[in-house]
Amino acid sequence: MRDVYQEQLDQLADELAGMCYQVAEAMEKATRSLLETDLQLAEQVISEDIRVDEIRATAEEKAFALLALQAPVATDLRIVVSAIHGAGDIERMGDLALHVAQAARRRHPQPVLPAEVAPYFAEMGTVGVRLARKAGDVIRSRDLGAAAELESDDDAMDDLHRHMFSVLMDPGWSHGVGPAVDITLLARFYERYADHAVAVARRIVYVVTGRMPGPLTV
Amino acid sequence: MPPAPLPRQLDELSELLGQMCTTVAGALQRATYALLEGRERVAQQVVAADADVDALRAKVEEIATDALLFHAPVAGDLRQVVSAIRTAGDVERMGDLALHVAQAAERGRPLPGQVRDDFAEMGRVAVQLALKAAEVARTRNVILAVELDADDDAMDALHVHMFGVLMDPAWPCGVPAAVDVTLLARYYERFADHAVVVARETVYAVTGKEPDAIPI
Repeated sequence: MRDVYQEQLDQLADELAGMCYQVAEAMEKATRSLLETDLQLAEQVISEDIRVDEIRATAEEKAFALLALQAPVATDLRIVVSAIHGAGDIERMGDLALHVAQAARRRHPQPVLPAEVAPYFAEMGTVGVRLARKAGDVIRSRDLGAAAELESDDDAMDDLHRHMFSVLMDPGWSHGVGPAVDITLLARFYERYADHAVAVARRIVYVVTGRMPGPLTV
Repeated sequence: MPPAPLPRQLDELSELLGQMCTTVAGALQRATYALLEGRERVAQQVVAADADVDALRAKVEEIATDALLFHAPVAGDLRQVVSAIRTAGDVERMGDLALHVAQAAERGRPLPGQVRDDFAEMGRVAVQLALKAAEVARTRNVILAVELDADDDAMDALHVHMFGVLMDPAWPCGVPAAVDVTLLARYYERFADHAVVVARETVYAVTGKEPDAIPI
């Protein structure tokens, strides 16, 4: 009995980690569709988001079944509750990747990004994808060191985000209001994506230690 | 101290969630006032009060965890406990968004005249949604919850309208003001979205179904 139960807990973790890898891939493709004005790729991200929502639904069903049938305590209870939180965060990451792809689709065949800001978004994409993959790894390994790494990656994202604003606010900005509005929202999507990945890692720290590592940055 | 009986814990969860929603409604109302009237002191008060919402959330999680631990609830009771945990996250986020509006007000850049009325209206709609979400959380009234789902359309219309104003080539206020307005509009829209999620969670907790499946 105990073994089946442990297996169910492991399956739940696997499912969530899989969700992280899926939204990492979504963000990777969404970023590419944005940078390369690739409509087909954008469409693909948009149509695949439903899969993330489905995995979330399955993960939640598993979590409910565990709570109802096994009435877990202590660390196991923390795992299940964290899984419920994590599933919400990761689904939101999928939505944010979707928003990036939608921006690429909306402006197609025009590029959304002026050439001079494209490299920053390439970098935000790289950092975001890395964060999502690391969050998936941390769910599997429950390695506190790796969880802490996400915090410093997130600092890199915050720096990029802040920098993007200083570019927009600069009196030398020559692309007008329309692109500035798009970029403002896009930069926000990447920043929120990273925040959710960090939230997932923090929940894992809570599972292992029983304590939340400080409040979330907002 | 022995844990409270499950029915009392469930009542307490509903009450706390209602209180959280009322608190964030008040926060956004004051933040909007601070934004529209340039009242930095009011904005600072909103920023300082955000910790209250976080404390309420922690309380919800504690009671919910106790309920799971000591009573191992099943079926509808289990849904209510899990949904309380999730809802508390949404309402805390609403508090963060009110905080962001207050922080924008604190920065003291005046809102362009042509979007003032729109923000007043977004504030009004968002606060109403949060108050309705409070009632839904307290009373677990499914009909009211399904209604709230439709109320959000007003916010979406305002949000779309705002982008029309910004993207108009005649926008005279420059890029920095457009960036501020873009983010502020997004905060209101997200605040409203989370209020809708609170209602959807309640429908799910009570009926076991998503709101779209409810024939109202």
